[in-house]
Amino acid sequence: MIAFAASLRYEFRMQVRKRSVWIVPALTLVLFLLIGGSLLRDLFDPDEVPPEAKTAVTALAVQVYALLTIGFGCLLADRLVRDDRLRVAAILDATPARETARLLGKYLGAAAATAVPILVVYLGFTVAYAIHSHHPSAIGWAAAALGLVFLPGLLFVAAFALAVPLIMPAPLFRVLFVGFWLWANLVAPEQIPTIAKTVLHPLGGYPLTALLGFHGIDGRDSWAGPVPGATLNFLRPHPTPATAWLSIGVLLVLAAAALTSAHLGKRHAD
Amino acid sequence: MRIEISGLTKTYKGGVAALDGLDLVVPTGMFGLLGANGAGKTTLMRILAGIMLPSGGHVTVGGHDLGTTTGRTAVQRDLGYLPQDLGLYPDLTARQFLDYMALLKGIDDRKVRRRRIGEMLEVVALTAHADRRLRGFSGGMRQRVGIAQALLADPQLLIVDEPTAGLDPEERIRFRTLLSQFAGSRTVLLSTHIVDDIAQTCREVAVLAKGRLIFRGTVAELTRRAEGQVWSVVTDGPAPADGTVVSALPAEHGMRYRVVAPTAPGPQARPLEPGLEDGYLAVTAR
Repeated sequence: MIAFAASLRYEFRMQVRKRSVWIVPALTLVLFLLIGGSLLRDLFDPDEVPPEAKTAVTALAVQVYALLTIGFGCLLADRLVRDDRLRVAAILDATPARETARLLGKYLGAAAATAVPILVVYLGFTVAYAIHSHHPSAIGWAAAALGLVFLPGLLFVAAFALAVPLIMPAPLFRVLFVGFWLWANLVAPEQIPTIAKTVLHPLGGYPLTALLGFHGIDGRDSWAGPVPGATLNFLRPHPTPATAWLSIGVLLVLAAAALTSAHLGKRHAD
Repeated sequence: MRIEISGLTKTYKGGVAALDGLDLVVPTGMFGLLGANGAGKTTLMRILAGIMLPSGGHVTVGGHDLGTTTGRTAVQRDLGYLPQDLGLYPDLTARQFLDYMALLKGIDDRKVRRRRIGEMLEVVALTAHADRRLRGFSGGMRQRVGIAQALLADPQLLIVDEPTAGLDPEERIRFRTLLSQFAGSRTVLLSTHIVDDIAQTCREVAVLAKGRLIFRGTVAELTRRAEGQVWSVVTDGPAPADGTVVSALPAEHGMRYRVVAPTAPGPQARPLEPGLEDGYLAVTAR
């Protein structure tokens, strides 16, 4: 437990001090605002803002999460391999601290630190919106979106961002991750086989639909469930609270599997 | 902590044998490990530190079997380890890095940890730099942080691999003295190819070559291995071809060579008293 807490604390501290952890999301956000396709401005425009606070903050969650998670995954890609690169691994491995505890601490500490700017952006805009529109309930809906969409999704991405660079160079992982993220979340299933709108959807289509009742800003979009003419529809059951929790569970199980593989891979390499 | 090694082998991927049936007993106190690059010293140290598993053989440290997870963890609770290619986190200060290491070594009491870190920073003369990021530290300062982390938990077994590399002469002497003082009733395994470091600190020494033990005994015994084999040759011609040239100094008429060879490497060769380095060369040249 001490090793886990120590690893979490110091990995968080080292990661949150990295300038790129703040610069990458800031630049992404600025770019997004400049190209003008963002709800970040519409939230404060009476003609554009969704009428319900729940829809507004959930839509904001989808945009912030979909956009900033790309940088999140890329920024975490060097965290596990850097102990070897910095040649610190030998003295860490020679301590009585269990490797699983250190790995878990590193995973959660680095992921939490990298998520801080995302949370600052999301909660910052949510609070501003709540004050501006006199919708205090927006804070509660934002908390729900954080727990049901951001948390499982970021844990899923962080696990793979730590594990995959053990078998390929981190820059290659970053390129592949950006491609994966666009493919898994933004590609229309009826056009190309994709895991979008399945229980594996990293954007959390099932919890968005079945637990947060989100159907897009105009209320007519589908974020989960069968898509006529699409492949992989066996992974797209009808969205219900049960399938939503199943989807969250699947992402967390995949994250655990990635971390276990990383642990075993490192041990085998030693 | 007594170390008992029997039939230890380590073969890397590709079939490279780093250790080849090593048998060795390391008693309490300072113990030196000599050998050329690739002799297997670092592999042995990594196995003893519990960070690498052997391919075969048996190792016990203080009665704990290193072949088991429980045994390795028990040894690591009493271990200080300074690897040859030490790395540090550049984003942390020296104090933070030591705090992290202390926590991983199980020193969970904050007061004890702070006191111990303060003492170690004092010992390695880094108190004034304790709150500077490690990124800006010189090689010698980084090595001193490595020494501090190795001594943090007051270990019963200290394994140091090439610890004086990167230290200036004063720091080297200071560190050697520190190691000797620290040893006492503990076991300190010092691996180096700087023979003088062994001569100044260890009573007993082992020499490895190609993963095998080729000598084990006292420093005096190793020195005696070169008796009758050390020669001084002054020549203005080429260096003596027979034997191993230990040193070459400019002399009045040409160069003065110190040579280790089983027989006189020329008619003008004069016998000399052997030193530890000569003994080491006499043993490894066989």
